[in-house]
Amino acid sequence: MDEDLRRVIFATFSEVFETMFFTFLEPLEEAPGREELGCDRFIEATIGYSGGCNGNFLFYFPWELGKNITVNFLGVDEDEASDSQIIDTAAETANMAIGSLLGKLDPGGTALLAIPKARLLAEFSPETLLAASGLCMFNTEFGILWVVGTHA
Amino acid sequence: MAFNILVTDDSETMRAVIKKTVSMSGVPVGEFHEAANGKEALAILAGTWIDVILSDINMPEMGGMELLKKISEDEDLRKIPLIFITTEASEARQEEARKLGVAGYVKKPFQPEAIKAILYEVLEKAYAHRLEEKPCDDAGEESDF
Repeated sequence: MDEDLRRVIFATFSEVFETMFFTFLEPLEEAPGREELGCDRFIEATIGYSGGCNGNFLFYFPWELGKNITVNFLGVDEDEASDSQIIDTAAETANMAIGSLLGKLDPGGTALLAIPKARLLAEFSPETLLAASGLCMFNTEFGILWVVGTHA
Repeated sequence: MAFNILVTDDSETMRAVIKKTVSMSGVPVGEFHEAANGKEALAILAGTWIDVILSDINMPEMGGMELLKKISEDEDLRKIPLIFITTEASEARQEEARKLGVAGYVKKPFQPEAIKAILYEVLEKAYAHRLEEKPCDDAGEESDF
């Protein structure tokens, strides 16, 4: 993934997270050491687009980050956000982030966005993502948001 | 007099956020109705009085653009203003929506003020006489914006 695309991704995702969830992203240049990456509860959200350009993005939200953005999104207390709402919010976040990104990468609207999907990963280690070529990492107050994407 | 609003989005949390945003906007709301796609929206429209539709575009089964097309082809339904609230931000998509008669377009991510502004603009255009009437007691929440 080239640096220009990384910059556009960061600017776009930051706008989505700050506007909708009051959450600030900080790009992470280097991954934490393998020894720091244990298994934890994550939400995997995926969305793609095809047509004039093609792409696919996988988001990995630490559960606490997913919970926090859901609480901020809905304006409810922490114990009021259900698991299904947290997973649904992750899918909607992927939809907003990649929909906005596509608006910048494909202003002519030649590509169509697919329907986002999200699922809970009960035991997941981001270590499996470290070798991915389109890996972007964003530090947040509630853990690292991992994104693996392709665009062509 | 209050307005019946149909919120169409496949995300349940997004529907909840839109409903909350509209409730806080000061627009007098009679009833909210919810649909997860265009098909469900059309089923609600067939049997319920709706004053304005807030709809996503990217939905399974039937998307917002097809919903708008179906509405524009129906003599009665075409009078109901439809506002898109969507991530589909390209000029081409907005132009397509304009041609089909969309009443407004809000891009996600959105500020609550954007929904309020477009909703008032569209309602004033379509139902100016009703906005001048005193809102119902149960729907007259003060604006938090």
